Amino acid sequence: MQDSPLVKMVNISKRFGKVEALKDLSTTVQHNEILGLLGDNGAGKSTLIKILSGVFPLDKGELYFEGKRVNFSSPREARRMGIETVYQSLSLIEIMSISRNFFLGREPITWKRPIAILDRIKMAKECKKAVEGIGVKVRSPDESVSVLSGGERQAISIGRAMYFGAKLLLLDEPLASLSVREIRVVHEQIKKANESGASVVYITHNVYHAYPIVHRFVILDRGIKIAEIDKKDMKPEDIIEIIASGQMVKA
Amino acid sequence: MEIEKEKRSLLDFFSGIRVTVSKYPALGALIAFSAIFVTFSVIAPKFLTLRSLTGIFTLVSELGIITIGEAFLMISGEFDLSVGGVYALGGALFVVLANSLPSFLAFIITLGVAAFIGYVNGMITLRGGIPSFITTLGTMMITRGILLVATGGFSLTYKGDNFVPTILSKLIGRGFRPSHIWFIALALLFSFVLTRTRYGNWVFASGGNKEIARMKGVNTDSVKLRNFIISAVMAAIAGCMAISRFKFANVAFGTGYELEAIAAVVIGGTSLFGGYGTILGAALGAFLIGMIRIGLVLAGVPGYFYKALVGAVLITAALINIRMRHTST
Repeated sequence: MQDSPLVKMVNISKRFGKVEALKDLSTTVQHNEILGLLGDNGAGKSTLIKILSGVFPLDKGELYFEGKRVNFSSPREARRMGIETVYQSLSLIEIMSISRNFFLGREPITWKRPIAILDRIKMAKECKKAVEGIGVKVRSPDESVSVLSGGERQAISIGRAMYFGAKLLLLDEPLASLSVREIRVVHEQIKKANESGASVVYITHNVYHAYPIVHRFVILDRGIKIAEIDKKDMKPEDIIEIIASGQMVKA
Repeated sequence: MEIEKEKRSLLDFFSGIRVTVSKYPALGALIAFSAIFVTFSVIAPKFLTLRSLTGIFTLVSELGIITIGEAFLMISGEFDLSVGGVYALGGALFVVLANSLPSFLAFIITLGVAAFIGYVNGMITLRGGIPSFITTLGTMMITRGILLVATGGFSLTYKGDNFVPTILSKLIGRGFRPSHIWFIALALLFSFVLTRTRYGNWVFASGGNKEIARMKGVNTDSVKLRNFIISAVMAAIAGCMAISRFKFANVAFGTGYELEAIAAVVIGGTSLFGGYGTILGAALGAFLIGMIRIGLVLAGVPGYFYKALVGAVLITAALINIRMRHTST
């Protein structure tokens, strides 16, 4: 299993009406790597993430996950295979408690019929353990999410994905509108997820955000892959140059 | 050093209170309830008698059952302005059907028709993309209109059997009625569903943030649609209860009940935007409104003051609720 990459995309295309969001894209996500997906606005990063997470079906091309050909018809299906997505602002419901958020959509239950009853003891215990493991201090998992900072929320979202056994973590601009200190909290969590065996696709348009923790970069421009770079081969300034010019330049 | 420590523990104490308050949104309603209860006990001599208290209970049970359904729907992020219309139309339909069918069958059919109205409210709102405020404002007018056209404005007298009226609202003695038990049972049931079940978690999530809930795999449309149906069915149950008590249906029945129900829900601490609230609070809100209505009469205050006082309580409660929620963050 380890010889085939975790994700393999072959000539993937997706259009929305007249707009070709992705054109014949082929790339891979290796086991246990953090891949930075870079590109300017409208490069097709989000479309690619939505294909991987099962939000959009693909028009053309082949998608392999763990060596098996897949074609997700819903996010639920992708999740079942171990693909979890954390969106920039859409991670936790502010007005609800931390534990209710943590298990939303996958609530543990003690009783099934006629109506599914929550296992509230397990929810509180497991959530407390997971949140503390992430290093976020809360008085109680019953507290509202609004007491958490943006960074803590993202960290909890990532911790949540790992709790549910994510093999592939898709992070869509996870640092949008976070402070420097909070960025560190989130990066710690991404590293931890990676150390525990998950692969991460890290989407951003800010190279400096991703550079410290990413292993490899894929750069998109208007739906086309224009570069695939090992981090050790290139400085962030050169990568920015590629994104800005829209083409691979000789370093 | 010591002072610092003391300050700390005092701070912890107060933030502890705030957490408690934010965990129990009904607390504000409970405080207001107690205050008004004590006030009326003092200023209205007959207020603290079993007779007036059970009288309040009867009124509150009918309004309260509507309020429970409305609260459930509002927590999931939608409104229902048609509950007053469904209450009246449901009651009238029950009279017409029970006059020629067994009352139990009439009751079931009435609830089925109400469920259909709730379904229509939900489908128009969710598929048509119209705010539920508008959809249900429309169905409120439509249900009232149908009632007017069908009855020509005349009252309908109940001549059916006594089965359903007995179960719903026959006087047991000392002013107690089955409707009181139904109200408490439904409040406990829905409170349980909201706080202890997976569906309840989805109700909160649908109102808290539809997009995130969807992303996490919750079918928010299905949750909301079901809650629209629940709201309409509860209104029809309350309508049949009132009919069982009065034995006639009137076109003007339940006029303004939609606003009283929403007021009760808000007084009870539920967020107008959804995602937050309790059934217990909504039930207390309904009690508050019933108490004001009857307490004012007993205190010898002209009935005209009723609406004004409910309005004042509504605004005060909303202000207190929002303050508590902000300080708890």
